[in-house]
Amino acid sequence: MKPAVLLARPVVRYLLAALIIVLTTGLLRLRHPDLGTALVPLLYLLSVGLCTAFLGLGPGIASAVLAFLAFNYFFLEPFHTMVVYRAEDTAVLLVFLVVAVVISQMVGRAQAGLAASRAREREASLLYELSTALAGLTDAQDIGQVLCEQTRQTLQAERVELEAGSVDAGPRVQAAAPALGASPERPADEVMALQTARGRLGEIRLWLVSAPLAASEARLLYTFASQGALALERAWLAQSEQRAKVLEESDRLKSALLSSVSHELRTPLATIKAAATSLRSGEIAWDSAGGQDLLGAIDDEADHLNRLVGNLLDMSRIESGALRPQRQWNLLSEIVAGVADRMQGLTVDHVLEIDVPEELPLVPVDYVQFEQVFTNLISNGLKYAPPHSTISIRAALDGADTLRVQVSNQGPPVPEQDLARIFDKFYRVTAAERVTGTGLGLSICKGIVEAHGGRIWAENLPQGFAFVFLLPLTWEGAPPPRVPLEGDGG
Amino acid sequence: MTPRPPTETPPESRGAVQRPHVLVIDDEPQIVRALRTILSQNGYQVVSASRGEEGLALAAAAPPDVIILDLGLPDMDGIMVCERLREWTRTPIIVLSVRDADADKVAALDKGADDYLTKPFSADELLARLRVALRHAARWDGSRQESVVIAGPITVDLARHEVRRDGEEVRLTATEFRLLAYLAANANRVLTHRGILSQVWGPDEGDHVEYLRVYIRQLRKKLEPDPERPEFLTTEPGVGYRFHADV
Repeated sequence: MKPAVLLARPVVRYLLAALIIVLTTGLLRLRHPDLGTALVPLLYLLSVGLCTAFLGLGPGIASAVLAFLAFNYFFLEPFHTMVVYRAEDTAVLLVFLVVAVVISQMVGRAQAGLAASRAREREASLLYELSTALAGLTDAQDIGQVLCEQTRQTLQAERVELEAGSVDAGPRVQAAAPALGASPERPADEVMALQTARGRLGEIRLWLVSAPLAASEARLLYTFASQGALALERAWLAQSEQRAKVLEESDRLKSALLSSVSHELRTPLATIKAAATSLRSGEIAWDSAGGQDLLGAIDDEADHLNRLVGNLLDMSRIESGALRPQRQWNLLSEIVAGVADRMQGLTVDHVLEIDVPEELPLVPVDYVQFEQVFTNLISNGLKYAPPHSTISIRAALDGADTLRVQVSNQGPPVPEQDLARIFDKFYRVTAAERVTGTGLGLSICKGIVEAHGGRIWAENLPQGFAFVFLLPLTWEGAPPPRVPLEGDGG
Repeated sequence: MTPRPPTETPPESRGAVQRPHVLVIDDEPQIVRALRTILSQNGYQVVSASRGEEGLALAAAAPPDVIILDLGLPDMDGIMVCERLREWTRTPIIVLSVRDADADKVAALDKGADDYLTKPFSADELLARLRVALRHAARWDGSRQESVVIAGPITVDLARHEVRRDGEEVRLTATEFRLLAYLAANANRVLTHRGILSQVWGPDEGDHVEYLRVYIRQLRKKLEPDPERPEFLTTEPGVGYRFHADV
C-alpha cells in the first residue's frame, strides 16, 4: 500500500505520533547534559506541534500527553519516577501540558481548516470536470456512461453501475464502468439515488476497494448523482421536445400531402367517372369515334392514377426508411434503354438523346428503382422544357470508382436559391396549377440515389438545366465484376 | 347487349367444344367480377375462390387448365399456395401482384409459378398470358414438342443447334447458345434471373445476375434488329427476361 493510504488509517497515525515522541525522548536523553533543562520542554513542544501538523488533532493531543509523561519520567527529579519533588517543577509540568494541548488544538484546527478547504477545492474541480464532461452530451446513454466513469475514477471504486429511466423517455439507460465485465457477486457497497425535482430517475451502485466512503467522498458522490440526474433529465426533455417537433413537422407534411394528393387523385378520377358514366348511359355509342376516345381517356387516366399511387408509396417508403434497394450488378445502358423505350409515347414532342456507353462498368443498383429515377428525371424535363427541345442522358466515369450521370434539358434556368430545394417534397418552382404531378418525383429520385450511397443535385447550364448524380461503383467494397466472354464459334 | 363471340380460339389440344377452365384465387370481389366477365366473354369457364385453402380444395376437386392466383390472400401466403399446388400439379399458375411486391413475385416464380401480372393490368395482357400458359402446358403434355422456335426474323433450331437471322446463320458462343436455347424453349414465358442462371450456368451461379446482363446484351447485339430497343429478348424489370416467339 502507498504511504498516503497507510496514513489514512488512524492507528498508523497514532503509532507514528508515539514514535516521534519516543525518538524525541531518545535524542534528548543522549544530548541531555549539553542541553539546558529549560530547552527540554520546548523541544517536546516542537515535536507535539509537528505531530499535530502532520498527523492531525487526535494524534497531536496523544503526543502531548505522552510528551508530558516522558518529560516527567526522564527529565524531572527524581528521575525514572512519575513523582515530582519540586513545586516549580510541578508548575513547569502543568504549564507544559496546557501549552502542548493548546498548541495541538490550534495547529490541528488550522490543519483541519486547510484540509477542508483543500477537499472543497478538489470537490469543486472534480465537479467542474464532471459538468464539463456532461455538458456536450445530449444522449442519455452517453451521460450515464460518463457519469459512471467519472464516479469510478474519483472514488477509486472497483465498479460503478447506473440504471435510470423515465416514463416519457426512450429506452432505459444502463451504464457501467468498466464498461465490460459483470457486477461483483457481493451486494453494492453504496447505492445512491438519482433524484431530481420531478422524482427518482434511477440509481448509481458502487463497489468500493475499501469501504465505507469517507464523509467527504459520500458528499462528492451525492453531488455527482444530483448533477448526473439533472443531465439525464435535460437529455430526456430535449429528446421528447425533438420528438414533438418531428411529429409536428410530419403532421404539417401530411396535411400538405393530403391536400396535394387529393387534388391530384381527383383529376384522373373525374375523367374516368365522366367517361364511364357517359358510355354507360348510352348517349355515346361504344364503337363510335367518341366512344373510343372516352375509353382511351379511361385507360390513360387509370395509368396516371397508378403512377400517382406508386409515387406516394415510394415516398412513404423512403420516409420510413423502408426503401431497401435490391441491388444487383446492372448495365446502366440497359436500364436507360428500357426507360426510353417505355416512355416513347410520352417523349414524341421532345428529342431524347442518350449517351450511355455500354462499355461502362456494371453498376450495383436496384434495376426497378433506377428505372424510376430516370423516368422521373425525364418526366421533369418533359414538363418544363419547351416542345421539340432536346433531353439528354449522359453517363461517364468520374474517377476510378464513381459514375457520373447527367440528365439535362433545355428548360428555363432555376433561380440559384431554389436549386437545392427542388428536391424537397411538394416544392415547386412554378405555380402548382401550371404543372401536374404530386411534387414528389424529384424527392423520390433523391431518396433512391442516396439509398445507393450516391449524391444528386441540380445545376443550371449555359443552355438549359441539368440533374447530376454520382453513384459509387463499388458494392460492399467490391469493384464491378468483369464478365469474361468466350470467343465466337465455341 | 348480346354477348360478343369469343375472340379467342381455345387451345387446339383441348378441342373446340371444351372451354378451358380457369380457377381464379383472389379475395377482392371487384377483381374477381372483372376477371369473370372478361374471361367468360373470351371463351373460358371460370371458377373462383376467395381464400387459399378454398382454392387448393377447388384445384384438387376439379383440376383447372390454368390458375390465376393473387399473392395477397387473407388466410395464407400466395407463395405458399404456389408451393402446395406444385407438389402435385403442373397446371400453369399466373400470379397477380401489386407493384411494390417484386420480391414476392420473384419468389412465386421461383417456386414454380409460370407468369405474373402486376395490378393494374389490361385485359389484353391477361388474355395474352393465359394463351401462353395454356400453350406451354399443352407442350408439357407432350402433344406438341417444337424444336424450331421462330421470333420475327429469328429462327432458333434447338435440335440442330442452329440460329438464323433473316435466313443467315448467326454464330453464337456455347454459352450464348445455351442461354438462347433455354429462353426459346420457354418462349413467351417470364423466366427469373435465378431460374435462367441455374439452368444455363449451373445451380451454384444463381446470384450472378451480371453474367446474364452481359450475355443478354451480346445476344441482343447479334439477334435484335435494334439492340437498344429489343423486341424479342425483353427485360422484365426486377424479375428476369422473356423471349417473344411468334404465336
